[in-house]
Amino acid sequence: MRVALATASLRRHQSRTLLAIVGVAIAAAMLLDMVMLSTGLRESFRQLLVSRNFQMRLAPRGTLPFDTEATIGGAGEINKLLRTNPDIEEVSPVLGSSVHAMLLDRAVTAFALGVFPAVQGDYRIMDGLDLRDASDVVANADFLDAIGARLGDTISFATGYDPQLRTSQRTRRLIVTGRARFLYLSTGQPAVALPLAALQGMNGALRRDPVSLFMVRLRAGASADTVGKWVTRNVRTVNAISTEKALATVDERLSYFRQIAYILGAVSLALGFLLVTTLVTVSVNERIGEIAVMRAIGVSRWHVVQQILLEGIAITLTGAFLGLALGLVTARFLNSILSAFPGLPNAIDFFLFQPRAAWTSLGLLAGCGIAAGIYPAWRASSRPIALTLREEAVA
Amino acid sequence: MSTLVSLRDVTRDYALNGDAVHAVRGVSLDIAEGDYAAIVGPSGCGKSTLLHLIGAIDQPSAGSVTIGGERVDALNDRELTRLRLRRVGFVFQRFYLMPMLSARENVELPMAEAGVPKAERRKRASELLGYVELSHRERHRPTQLSGGEQQRVAIARALANRPGLLLADEPTGELDARTGAEIVALFERLNADGTTIVVVTHDEGLGRAARRMIHMKDGRVVGEE
Amino acid sequence: MLIFLFTLALQGTDRAALPQQVPRGIAIDERLAADSKLRVGDMAVITGDPDTSSGDTVRIAAIVRRRADPSEIARSEYRVRLHLDQLQSLTGYGDRVDRFAIATRGDSSTARALAAINASAFGFRAHRSADIAVETSETFRVVSRFHGAIGVITIVASAVFLLCVLLLKVDERRRDIAALRLAGISRSTIMRAVVLEAALIAVLGSGVGVALGWLSSAGVNSYYQGVYRTPLKFALVTSNIVLLAVSLSLVLGIGAGALAALRLVRTPPLDLLGR
Repeated sequence: MRVALATASLRRHQSRTLLAIVGVAIAAAMLLDMVMLSTGLRESFRQLLVSRNFQMRLAPRGTLPFDTEATIGGAGEINKLLRTNPDIEEVSPVLGSSVHAMLLDRAVTAFALGVFPAVQGDYRIMDGLDLRDASDVVANADFLDAIGARLGDTISFATGYDPQLRTSQRTRRLIVTGRARFLYLSTGQPAVALPLAALQGMNGALRRDPVSLFMVRLRAGASADTVGKWVTRNVRTVNAISTEKALATVDERLSYFRQIAYILGAVSLALGFLLVTTLVTVSVNERIGEIAVMRAIGVSRWHVVQQILLEGIAITLTGAFLGLALGLVTARFLNSILSAFPGLPNAIDFFLFQPRAAWTSLGLLAGCGIAAGIYPAWRASSRPIALTLREEAVA
Repeated sequence: MSTLVSLRDVTRDYALNGDAVHAVRGVSLDIAEGDYAAIVGPSGCGKSTLLHLIGAIDQPSAGSVTIGGERVDALNDRELTRLRLRRVGFVFQRFYLMPMLSARENVELPMAEAGVPKAERRKRASELLGYVELSHRERHRPTQLSGGEQQRVAIARALANRPGLLLADEPTGELDARTGAEIVALFERLNADGTTIVVVTHDEGLGRAARRMIHMKDGRVVGEE
Repeated sequence: MLIFLFTLALQGTDRAALPQQVPRGIAIDERLAADSKLRVGDMAVITGDPDTSSGDTVRIAAIVRRRADPSEIARSEYRVRLHLDQLQSLTGYGDRVDRFAIATRGDSSTARALAAINASAFGFRAHRSADIAVETSETFRVVSRFHGAIGVITIVASAVFLLCVLLLKVDERRRDIAALRLAGISRSTIMRAVVLEAALIAVLGSGVGVALGWLSSAGVNSYYQGVYRTPLKFALVTSNIVLLAVSLSLVLGIGAGALAALRLVRTPPLDLLGR
């Protein structure tokens, strides 16, 4: 009967109910987006970091991976040393640099990764073959489109290129064997990968044997913390950065978005709360006499409150479900804006949908709906019956 | 016949705009089972307040109110609510039906509160509406009913949980003479069927239909016919 | 621009162990000074190669406050200033620099200087600072677009909310309006009264909102300046922003009130009374 009363009450003022639902839907959409924003970036980044099963990165001491142009010298010796640790299953050294594809009328700059193809975790071959030879190169679609090349083409690459003088320090002709998707690069960034020694040679650094970082895969059950401490003790020129540490750094760097998510999420909840509480208050004020009569004929205070609360919850939940759908649409739109963040891997999403986010939003809104209705409902049901009936008679 | 309602030295005071109003002053009264009493008096003499005290809608400032042997002034809110639900039926001057429910649903409301199963309360609601000669208007909303019909629905609602006591506050106050007479006739029938009735009224016809007429003035009972 | 990282290692302040030549002074930023507990007058060793521990002994000559540069937000790197030749020597850069910063006497001088330099430059180009700023401000353009999108969503949400609340409040007075209509008061008089009330609420609400916004922005700036250790202002309340906010809320408030009132005055009075 209480459900029937609540439904009938809501249908009594249809436009008012509809508008309140729309208002709650918008608040719910914003809340869902902010919940997604608060956790999406971290989760998305975590998924990216562990996508190739490398749980640790070693960067030049005092830096983060590719944060600066600093490199780690003696990579071969360090690689051998790392492999002596039984908890380390695989090591992938990576050198980052710039190369220039020399065309007839211009040069196109690309980000270059020097890797060991057998163990690398930076790209996936989408088409063609991986690196096999010192004269092989794989490139992403952005690079191939920029220079109008296809698989099998031979391209002249240069390092130390001076665009003013049109001179370069070293050049090398490489064959495009494969098209790759680079996991950690931003959208639109032309990139190539070639064997590590080849890139070191092009940079004139073969003797120094530098790399920009090591990616480390640990054996199942190994403690990243323990291995990290061992690395720091034995390799003085590197920082050991576990996935958790990397996530913590990203959290710190992009904490602004998490905080804005909390603030806007709170504002959305407050909006939803105010809307529902206003609606319930007005609705209750109009029915003071009816409520007093219900109490007079023997309906308990708590049942009166329940009936009023049901109205608030019905509006909140209906608005919340609509808002979830709307929120997914706005999240996509907002994500497309933030995806243009320079330097961010294009695999990263700021707004990642997780079912937990939806349930959290729903739960928060339901709680809000209850809290919003409870005070006006309790007040209305606690009014002295006789006095209220007298006032209503006069009114 | 045994005493159903007993009032002893009941007083009700309340504040209005800073002034103390003595609505009921030291009233002592007994209503027996099967009684049909009318409380009459000039406007503002405390009739409605007295009815509210009898029906446990209001609490006395002093004195005691006993319904069916139970002291009402000693009950907490929950117990009072249960008492009103099961033992007292109230009919108001302005009907106070739920506008968003049909006639039948309005009659079902107290039964739903009392936990009566749906099928059973539907059946009883239909019976009650038949009793007040409104079977053909079961599905109509209050706004689709005339004043007299609304009041009859309100009476059916008041009888839903078979209360021993029916209280009516100016039940014909908003009705024309002819419709009012129909309500008076209904009350007579109810009383003949065993319902104890106490009405507050200005209506002479309703007052004369009652077996007892209790006169009030300035918050006191000043006489009885 | 190349950024060089170099290691700063404290060798203690034992003056007996210091080399013979007078150490040159360097300036460090406040953050480094606070984190490494360095003060003016302290000695340190700097090197351009993290693999070696030998380098130049220097004296902390000054502690510098960094500019309010948005591009440095959330980057926890330290900044140090050295004499040019010392940095060139430490890093093996030779007699090379990343850029020259040039101050000119005015806009026309800038144009003439740009043309002259680029005509004869060999191995480098000259750019206006503003052009470089535009190219390097992609991050802020993204964040601005994001803020803009959030702003639009917030305005839409606020508009719906305002409409809802005003509709409810005006609806609450339906019986009063019905009574007035039955007493012979015209629709237009009632409309004017309701719209005036809505306008008053909108004006008062705007005032409170502006005050709240100013207080919040002060709070946001204070908080984030502490978190990121920067003098940068994160939230600015300008007169244009105030004007936009007040105008919007007035338009929305009056519009919502008018819409709600129109709905009610068009309904027959008896229907408003529920008869």
